[in-house]
Amino acid sequence: MKEIMHKLLKIDRRYLFVLLTLSILIPIIKPLGLPNKSISKDVQNLYNFIDNLPAGSTIICSLDYDPSTAPELHPQATAIVKHAFKKNIKVIVVTFIPGSTGLIDELFEKIPQQYGKKYGEDYVIFPYMANIVAVLTQMNSNIYSIYDKDKDGKDLKSMPIMKGINNYKNISGIVNITGTAILDIWVAYVGDKFGVPVLGGVTAISQVGYGPYLQKGQIKGLLGGMKGAAEYETLINEPGKGTSGIDALNVAHLLVLALIIMSNLILVIFK
Amino acid sequence: MKLFKKQIPLAIVFVFGLVTLASYYVPHRTSEEYLDVMNSWENIVSAFGFFLGLISLFYAHYNKIKRKVDGWGYSLFVYIGFLLMVIPAVYSNGKQINPDASITWLGWAYRYIYNPLQATMFSILAFYIISTAYRSFRIKSLQAFVLFVAAFILILGRIPVGQMIWDQLFGFTKVTTGQAIDWVIGVPSTAGKRGIMIGVAIGAIVTSLKIIFGIERQYMGKD
Amino acid sequence: MSEGMIIFGAWVAAALTLFLFSFLYKDNPFFKVAEHLFIGAGMGWYFQTVYYKIMVPKILEPLNSGTGFEIAMVIIPSILGLSLITQFIPKISWISRYGFTFLMGYSAGMAIPVGLATDFMNQVLGTIEPFANFFSLSGFEMFNALIIAIGTVCVLFYFFFSVEHKGVGKKVSNIGIYFLMVYFGASFGNTVMARFSLLYGRFDTLVNYSSAKYLYATSWIAAGLTLFFVAEKLVKTLTKAESAE
Repeated sequence: MKEIMHKLLKIDRRYLFVLLTLSILIPIIKPLGLPNKSISKDVQNLYNFIDNLPAGSTIICSLDYDPSTAPELHPQATAIVKHAFKKNIKVIVVTFIPGSTGLIDELFEKIPQQYGKKYGEDYVIFPYMANIVAVLTQMNSNIYSIYDKDKDGKDLKSMPIMKGINNYKNISGIVNITGTAILDIWVAYVGDKFGVPVLGGVTAISQVGYGPYLQKGQIKGLLGGMKGAAEYETLINEPGKGTSGIDALNVAHLLVLALIIMSNLILVIFK
Repeated sequence: MKLFKKQIPLAIVFVFGLVTLASYYVPHRTSEEYLDVMNSWENIVSAFGFFLGLISLFYAHYNKIKRKVDGWGYSLFVYIGFLLMVIPAVYSNGKQINPDASITWLGWAYRYIYNPLQATMFSILAFYIISTAYRSFRIKSLQAFVLFVAAFILILGRIPVGQMIWDQLFGFTKVTTGQAIDWVIGVPSTAGKRGIMIGVAIGAIVTSLKIIFGIERQYMGKD
Repeated sequence: MSEGMIIFGAWVAAALTLFLFSFLYKDNPFFKVAEHLFIGAGMGWYFQTVYYKIMVPKILEPLNSGTGFEIAMVIIPSILGLSLITQFIPKISWISRYGFTFLMGYSAGMAIPVGLATDFMNQVLGTIEPFANFFSLSGFEMFNALIIAIGTVCVLFYFFFSVEHKGVGKKVSNIGIYFLMVYFGASFGNTVMARFSLLYGRFDTLVNYSSAKYLYATSWIAAGLTLFFVAEKLVKTLTKAESAE
């Protein structure tokens, strides 16, 4: 018995790979459809922030994620943009990583039509910029000194959405969705320095590390990973990829816990 | 020669370092203008920095092909991958979306080549998580047990099934999974991370000062 | 973009995805090809972004139509940038120091005030602030404020007085380790969710591409790969048997 158990511990890892594959693949094909009940305080705070903005205010969405983190962050960005559109809040999109531009295009392919929003009036997409620190500092004095054209080279100043927008004083808040450390830069160079409210959406991996900024109030609200997206979708009552994603993870999460407990029990019982 | 090889570069670090540092604290028009210029310079210099990386990658694979080392044929695909992005970019003039909202060739290359490659590369890590969890997650000490408990609460509490199990087991405490996770992340874990954060900040400040004053100069290379 | 190109795209994407996943079974030529394409495509994407979003608007356009001052403001950093390339020529590689020292000086100057304000001062403040109105807090909030303060101090103690822990010092830094363990444990827990989410993303796309709309791309390619591995195994066993004879 002891031998079998110890062999089980050294099982070819490809069997584990098959287990994981099945545990995620099957729920995708046949969803469990369990309700997601809990809403974390940081998600609620982000929701409240957007929900309480007066119609016609402008927020900056800094969308800095690429395909490597898109399954977690794309649903977050989608939910927040939908919420903003519902509340008639204007959205300026900026980005500081090269791999994000295609995803931003995908995001704005369909959502604006659903809410009857027009490019240049209700939302606008700025071009990719390298060196985020430079851009964030400059935008405090004059946005147009760094962004004079939109992503397609159209003049920005003449767009209706930009009327009365010159610097951070005209911006109600910043929502940064990112799988990088760019949120830290928004906090340091804009939130802490100029007092603009900074909110975030990050991967589950980095979410835990933002505890200190949240406790101090340097970040006003935060979505973490796919669960954060699912919670936000629940709040705005628009289930999407976050909700179906977290549903698909049910079995896989239990599998990990079962494997950790099993391997440790084997070691304890069959020493 | 020492002047050009050593002293002037060190003077550059010192001057740019100090002036940039000062410009953060001096709320004057001149310091804003200085930052404007420096920022755009940095932008351009880093762009050239990227070419440095590109050239060395190409050079490495060129050598593999030239020397016909084992598997040299695969190196060709590095160039093919590069061209698969760059040729559509030239053709579409760097634009991913046409005025009629359809995607360009560059947009196509992003969606069906770049995106699946990058996303899949990173998703493969999930398989290693599961094999690490099974083979190396050993609860042998009280410290490891604390680590396990924190991980357990988060892994279980994130999923709807976990919330149901939690309510069955700990429902009597009237604490929901959401509250438990908020507390773990917001209190003890925040303390741990904050300690690290302050430590790292002090380290970074000291290193930066060393660089500005020319004490730390490893990045300059030898001689 | 025609419908046909989009279906073709789905086939390409499904193939590249499955090629990369095939590594989990074992290393093979399909994986190697996709892996090398990944490196090249990543560089290619970055290159076209740098060219069209930085080189053209920030360097080439000002050089073509800028004023004398604007041209100078492009030429100076371009020379600094070009100096980096001398790295490859050992004899004059010292010239690259001009570019590097500029970058280092600038980033060191930027790092100090931010580290000081955001990650040092504000964190110290965040720890002690709750004590300013300690007695107006609820019991639970008091408890939390105390835990955060004690934890932060113990972790710092663990880091900075790590020479030799004895007596009380050892106890304090031991407590610090437990706080770090909670942080690492929570991070691990969330990493599981993060990694699985990415896998979900890929599987979701593959399932999508296996539909009739995309002419069952995923299924055909998966079948093809399986066939390859089976055939390879067969050939291997046959040659083994032959050489044994």
